[in-house]
Amino acid sequence: MKLYQVRKGQFVYFNNELHKVYSVKPVYKQSIHLIKLKDLTQHLTTASKIELYKPKQLDSFIFNHKAYTLHQDKKAGEGDYILITNPSPDYLDHYSLHEIEIVSSVETKGVITTKFNGVKHSEYLLMVPGRENGSHPIDFLDKNITDSGLTSNDSDQPAKSTQGEMPNIGDVYKKRGGNHSIEAMVVAINGETVFLGNNLELSLNELNDSERWEFQYSLLED
Amino acid sequence: MKKVTIVFTISIIIAVLFILWGALAPNNLASVTGNIQTFLQTNFGWFYLLVASVILLLAIYLIFSKYGNIKLGRDDEKPEYDLISWFAMLFSAGMGIGIVFYGVAEPLQDYMAPPYGDPGTKQAANDAMRYSFLHWGLHPWGIYAVMALALAYFKFRKGAPGLISATFYPLLGDRVKGWIGNLIDIIAVFATIFGVATSLGLGAVQINGGLHFIFPTIPKTIVIQSIIIAIVTVLFILSSISGLGRGIKWLSNSNVIVAIILMLFLLFAGNTGFLLDYFTTTLGSYIQKLPEMSLNISPFDEQHSKWMQSWTLFYWAWWIAWAPFVGTFIARVSRGRTIREFIIGVLIVPTIFCTLWFSIFGGSGIYLERIMHVNLGDVINTKGIEVSLFAVLAHFPWSTFTSILAIILISTFFITSADSATFVLGMQTTNGSLNPPNITKIVWGILVSAAALVLLWSGGLTALQTASIIAAFPFAFILIFMMFSLIKSFKEEIKIRKRIERKTKQVQ
Repeated sequence: MKLYQVRKGQFVYFNNELHKVYSVKPVYKQSIHLIKLKDLTQHLTTASKIELYKPKQLDSFIFNHKAYTLHQDKKAGEGDYILITNPSPDYLDHYSLHEIEIVSSVETKGVITTKFNGVKHSEYLLMVPGRENGSHPIDFLDKNITDSGLTSNDSDQPAKSTQGEMPNIGDVYKKRGGNHSIEAMVVAINGETVFLGNNLELSLNELNDSERWEFQYSLLED
Repeated sequence: MKKVTIVFTISIIIAVLFILWGALAPNNLASVTGNIQTFLQTNFGWFYLLVASVILLLAIYLIFSKYGNIKLGRDDEKPEYDLISWFAMLFSAGMGIGIVFYGVAEPLQDYMAPPYGDPGTKQAANDAMRYSFLHWGLHPWGIYAVMALALAYFKFRKGAPGLISATFYPLLGDRVKGWIGNLIDIIAVFATIFGVATSLGLGAVQINGGLHFIFPTIPKTIVIQSIIIAIVTVLFILSSISGLGRGIKWLSNSNVIVAIILMLFLLFAGNTGFLLDYFTTTLGSYIQKLPEMSLNISPFDEQHSKWMQSWTLFYWAWWIAWAPFVGTFIARVSRGRTIREFIIGVLIVPTIFCTLWFSIFGGSGIYLERIMHVNLGDVINTKGIEVSLFAVLAHFPWSTFTSILAIILISTFFITSADSATFVLGMQTTNGSLNPPNITKIVWGILVSAAALVLLWSGGLTALQTASIIAAFPFAFILIFMMFSLIKSFKEEIKIRKRIERKTKQVQ
């Protein structure tokens, strides 16, 4: 691509993999700032090394280690991910091309996202979890050069990625959503498994998912 | 239209009745509203002054109070926008037709018809800028800050819808969903309609004035102003139904940049040193005399009393009428800030910008008039205060270009503020929906423009000011109760927090 064609938000291929442009800084040599959709890592490059792709209905790709398929006609529900493909933000909205947002409520004309944006139904494609049969995988420009498969790889998440966020005994967590609120304390940790009061047994990843469990405070800290 | 609420229906009926009244009996409208205005100004001047000052005091108190640490969002939330972009957005909230219209006009008018003493004196020059600072400084931003604080706090921390009535939950409980909540929202909508209509009217008058100034063949008449309003209305309605949200966003961002370029042009093409001296000197005397200016209604000084009624009261009312609109915007971009950060930002950033703007635009006018002995007074007296800006630009290089740039600036401000106002009105009348149906936006667009038109028709600039003063009166009471509601909620929050802290200590 030429530099003047690159815009924030575009889906592009770089090193054969799908990325999203998150910033264009023309004054720098490495003027294109990318984020790899698969694992949300950042990469810098130049315009000549990337190739544009416009995502469409029934395309599937991995976003943050999970596979999704794009759907135009399915209406979004609460908690669903949407990909904004046709942004037309109103006065109070702050979103731009290809932003991925989470639906917090659904209205007749559109959805409200967790970032308080009002997105009309015509502005987004729904990201349905899983890679559907007949969908068109867009993770790689040339599928033949890839060594890893196209499977959803929850498991290939680096095992140590959660280090530094290890819970400690005495940490109090609160469960998000649900009908009644649960607050519980970490009482034991056995490798990847965390035991909380009230007989709750969770995996480390589950507890670190800030969408589901929210850290409140630690009883052992001053 | 499933989403349409009783608030929508009733406020539409009131607005349509008002417009019909203005269209069918403009003289009657002018005399009745004129009487109400005189009544409010002579009997309730103290009320507007006290309300504006008390709100500002509350805002300043919150900065230093124990409530300052409360977050506008969950406790662990980070600010949604970083400091620089937040400042930029607050900046842009302060920009609009108002500062372009009054930037030169107000200080120059105050100099030629001063609050104290004789016109055209040294004292008049000092007072002129100081009072402009008063009108565009901490008070309006205090009002917006408290309004926005209430909206942001109840929306982001308590999960309430972004309605004015939702901020009354601590006082009224579930009754906010009943008739009393509806009444609150209708009063807010009513204030917004006329606050915005005043701006649009000013915009139309100034576009006409500018065109007349550059091309004298274009007359300055209500017909031309109607055509301007009609064209701009069609433009923004087209843009809002065709889903040009991105275009409008771009327009309003580039507008702010054009305005800043125009300001820097005047600063550097004019006498930079003088303008900055004027700014700094006035800043000092503004801070020194703030309490007196805020509350002085001069029962024994007829000149100042009259002057204050026609300027300060109009502004205070206009700001109150604008509060739901600007407040909604400021609240939206401030998620995740603490109350302390929030109020410091909202009070300081736009105030500095507005006072700088007035020093540069008004200062250039007074410099030409007082030091260069250019007779701007004559031009303004014969052609009206709406040409003040163009009369000043005419004495700078590339004046035709900058004048046309200024006209484009006002026109685009007109489009962007009309667009955003219709969005906010649509939201307020569809239960706080962030996706108001297009039809409500179109209806509000037409009604606000029509209101601006009949006001101009019935009495020109004076009628625009009258409308703001009247529409703001009921909303001022809402602001008073909103302050109590906020404080009550903050107190409860601190109580709960203390209880939790005690409990954790006991456990340890």
